[in-house]
Amino acid sequence: MRLPFAAQLCFALIAVAGPAGADFPQTVQDHILPGYRAFADASAALADQAQQSCDPADLRPGYNAAFDAWMGVQHLRFGPVERDGRALAILYWPDPKGLGAKAQKALFGADPARLAPAAFAEQSVAARGLLALERLLYPAQPLSADPCALIRATSADLAATAAGVLADWQGGYAQSLTSAGAAGNPVFLSKTEARQILFTQVMTALEFIEEQRLGRPLGSFDAPHPERAEARASSRSRRNVVLALRAMRAMVATLTPDAPQTMAGFDRAIALAEGMEDADFTGLADPARRLKVEILQQAVGHLREQALAELAAELGVGIGFNAADGD
Amino acid sequence: MTTRRGFLAGLAVLALPQPGWADIGAPAYLAAARQGQGFWLHGLSAAGESLFALPLPARGHAAAAHPHRPLAVAFARRPGTYALVIDCALGRETARLHPPEGRQFNGHGTFSPDGTVLYTSEVVAEGSAGRIGIWDAADFRRIGEWHSGGLGPHDLKLMARGVVVANGGIETDPNDRRKLNIDRMRPNLSLIGWDGSLVEQAELPAGLRQDSIRHLALGRAGEVAFAMQWEGDPAEEVPLLGLWRPGDAPVLCPAPDGQGARMQGYAGSIAWSGAQIAITSPKGGVAMIFTAAGAYLETIERADICGIAAAQGAGFLASDGAGALLRLSDKGAQRLTQQALSWDNHLVALG
Repeated sequence: MRLPFAAQLCFALIAVAGPAGADFPQTVQDHILPGYRAFADASAALADQAQQSCDPADLRPGYNAAFDAWMGVQHLRFGPVERDGRALAILYWPDPKGLGAKAQKALFGADPARLAPAAFAEQSVAARGLLALERLLYPAQPLSADPCALIRATSADLAATAAGVLADWQGGYAQSLTSAGAAGNPVFLSKTEARQILFTQVMTALEFIEEQRLGRPLGSFDAPHPERAEARASSRSRRNVVLALRAMRAMVATLTPDAPQTMAGFDRAIALAEGMEDADFTGLADPARRLKVEILQQAVGHLREQALAELAAELGVGIGFNAADGD
Repeated sequence: MTTRRGFLAGLAVLALPQPGWADIGAPAYLAAARQGQGFWLHGLSAAGESLFALPLPARGHAAAAHPHRPLAVAFARRPGTYALVIDCALGRETARLHPPEGRQFNGHGTFSPDGTVLYTSEVVAEGSAGRIGIWDAADFRRIGEWHSGGLGPHDLKLMARGVVVANGGIETDPNDRRKLNIDRMRPNLSLIGWDGSLVEQAELPAGLRQDSIRHLALGRAGEVAFAMQWEGDPAEEVPLLGLWRPGDAPVLCPAPDGQGARMQGYAGSIAWSGAQIAITSPKGGVAMIFTAAGAYLETIERADICGIAAAQGAGFLASDGAGALLRLSDKGAQRLTQQALSWDNHLVALG
């Protein structure tokens, strides 16, 4: 339908002005697409650097930049990032049975054909991604063989996976989320469904911080397990929690301008995480330091309750009826 | 199984023009739903339209549909102290089943194909030892019970040789469903013969003993597909679908590397349709479709999807917590109907 120019202008003004500007299409444009672009760029840069040098000292800054970029989008666990197990091929954690190290061992000094991109992408997800690179760039013990070919293969695979996720979002998935509820959209049948899936990402990712990122190293008071912390070798355990919280806060800000308690909950949890001196949760055996992690864990739990009470109501969504209470 | 009672009941059906499912629109499925604060039992057409909706006093779990008469038995959620017999033609409860003292219903039940007997999954409240309750479908009198072959039975289905039971292996607190034995649970599949004896039993390999076997679907050639819920470390990616031919070892059907995690260790429902099997995960917001031989085909994203049943023709009918009924296949999901309610865990196919 062609509209008179004045009417078009009027629509344009409405679209630009006012708090109605925050909703899921903004989340796609201002959060999801830029986040995946940054991750694709950072992991491509790391793969390029690995072609120049295999010296861990040269690669660590680029490695951390790629990991930082992933933390900006790791809370999104639907759509392209879940195709072919990509999310786990990017970050395989937790790994209580040490499957990643075992699978990687078999690739050391392997036939170069197994490290070629297509063959490498067929390796177990546990052998791939950021933590596979961490074992090569921050080895606990001297490596048994020259890791150069494996560093190059792993970083190239990471870059290809990141590029694939971005390409799939740009090549249709962003459009289908943005046009949720439009006639003929087969994936998102209503706008509420779009808000629902984004809300669910926040709730699930907060639970993951609480129970996995913090809960695993906390263990119990009598048996703390700092060695179980995520990305401990690269001293990123605390940083990952901070970045995950910041990224989710930024996403919520694109969804609605009207969730003040949720935002305050994020701010409190972020401040607590930033205030911990332990970058890798080493001090969990010390009761005073342990208490700080427990307080952070409680703050994340409280944030989840706030989001369920306030953000869910604001977005007109909730925890799924069946997801909340199965049998 | 022909019993004297069944024979007489069959004669009665012939002699008296009793109402059947056809008289109330010939629903293809039953499904429970929450609407506002209330709970309802819907009869659905093959196209997903509500043909009738009857009020339930509380949230239920699964329902059993009588094969001929328009009767539905709705089981209370665990710990199940009652089950309602609803005459869908009269639109009201006509009987209320209570398990014997010290027993609880455990969510599922099924009628014999001739409609004369109702079998229910039950536990001894203290300790969760499994029982199959046996009820006369003419007057819903309790006529017996068998051991189910394990702890915490959930779904059960009838085969030519007997009743196959998913013994979930979990001992629950009789008052609040708290799980008491996760560190030592041992689920199994048991085939209980028509004389109540244990005919066949299958366990999962060591390492998967915390994979609670909970829901069942039958293939045409007497195979049992079973869906599981993982009680172990959520970081482990374990199979949630298996196939069992009584007498053989169960065959586990994992999803591809990195893909299985999408189910979040939880299969809430299972259905078999022709050459395909589907399992659903409301927690993961996905359904996974496998071939009848257990080979992975596809993952379909759908928030809070849970109920699933074979569609007429091919593919599946699925329901979600947002009120949609969907046609599901390995090509994707297509919405058939949408209502302002939340469909509950299961879709029960009639006939």
